[in-house]
Amino acid sequence: MRTNDDEPGANESPNPTTWNVTRTYFKIGTLGFGGGYAVLDLIHSELVVKQRWLDEQGFQDMTALSEMAPGALTVNLLAAIAYRMGGIRTMIAATAALILPSFVLIIVLAGLFLAWQDNPVVKSAMKGLTAGVVGLLIAVVWDMLKGVPKHWYCLVVGITALFLGLAFSVNPIWLVLLGGLAGGIKVLLAAVFTRNSGAGRST
Amino acid sequence: MNILYELAYSFLKIGFFGFGGGFAMIPLMHSEVYRHAWLSSEQFGVAIALGQVTPGPVAISATFIGYKVAGFAGAFLATAAVFTPSLLIMYLLDRLYLKERKNEITHAIVHGILPVIVALILIAAVSLGRPAVHSWWQALIVVTVALLAITRKTSYGLLVLGCMAVGALMGWLHY
Repeated sequence: MRTNDDEPGANESPNPTTWNVTRTYFKIGTLGFGGGYAVLDLIHSELVVKQRWLDEQGFQDMTALSEMAPGALTVNLLAAIAYRMGGIRTMIAATAALILPSFVLIIVLAGLFLAWQDNPVVKSAMKGLTAGVVGLLIAVVWDMLKGVPKHWYCLVVGITALFLGLAFSVNPIWLVLLGGLAGGIKVLLAAVFTRNSGAGRST
Repeated sequence: MNILYELAYSFLKIGFFGFGGGFAMIPLMHSEVYRHAWLSSEQFGVAIALGQVTPGPVAISATFIGYKVAGFAGAFLATAAVFTPSLLIMYLLDRLYLKERKNEITHAIVHGILPVIVALILIAAVSLGRPAVHSWWQALIVVTVALLAITRKTSYGLLVLGCMAVGALMGWLHY
């Protein structure tokens, strides 16, 4: 995937203009309900199948890269693809177009909500919403648990974070940093262990 | 001016440390919002719920929080701030050829940060629910939504709309 060579006739990756990318991203931002992996399918069908801006392998590589960065997987993936296709300017323009539909919708809904939030029925609807969000968060925890390796190290890290957060209200950002540190130590341990045992062990 | 600066700083932090997808940002947002007393628990619930019913990423809840705190300028700044770290880090990952270190970095994130994020989301559920869930019907919603989302994979947007309707109905019956 060399996109910096400005070869107009290149078969593999026809370089689309910033405008093309921005327009496609706007479409994804308008249709991309559901978030996360649901939107991944939409992105795949738009960029790989329809526009052919990148191939299957490229899409998978980019997805793996996106999982390394913080933030929404879909935004990371689309930002990286836009960058590959047209540099920083395309990345910023296209990401802005991706977010714009939701941004406008939220502003409108927020305005409506703030105007009506003292109405008793709206208040009660809010109570229902908040309860629903608590339920959703529990479901998210359940789903994410499946992505965490079944390894004693992860269990120790997770329970330590839970304890520090609940008992001492430690700032989540510190906990994330400590988690990163724990992960780094795990990588070092794994490297030492592999070298000593001679055989690769994957966890 | 000061409040805009606070917003931008908070949401940059949220953007930088939200490893593990959009939902990872929710506990960070909750902690910042709670610390600054920007929103009530119910308003925070609405912020997250709106992020579910609109297309686009969960992190768009930042727009709502920014709007509530400082109007349109706040909404714009919070949104720009929450997405900037993603773009910056994707750029750096691409530039620094960190792909060669992909396995190590992914390993570290999955074994170190992911368990922490799961714990944080659980803590956010508890600390959001404790002050806001009082009545039997709310407790029922928590259980029903969690079960539907886990077993039926019902879309989060639909669930949120359903909760809103049930809440409105309860309010209408009560008043």
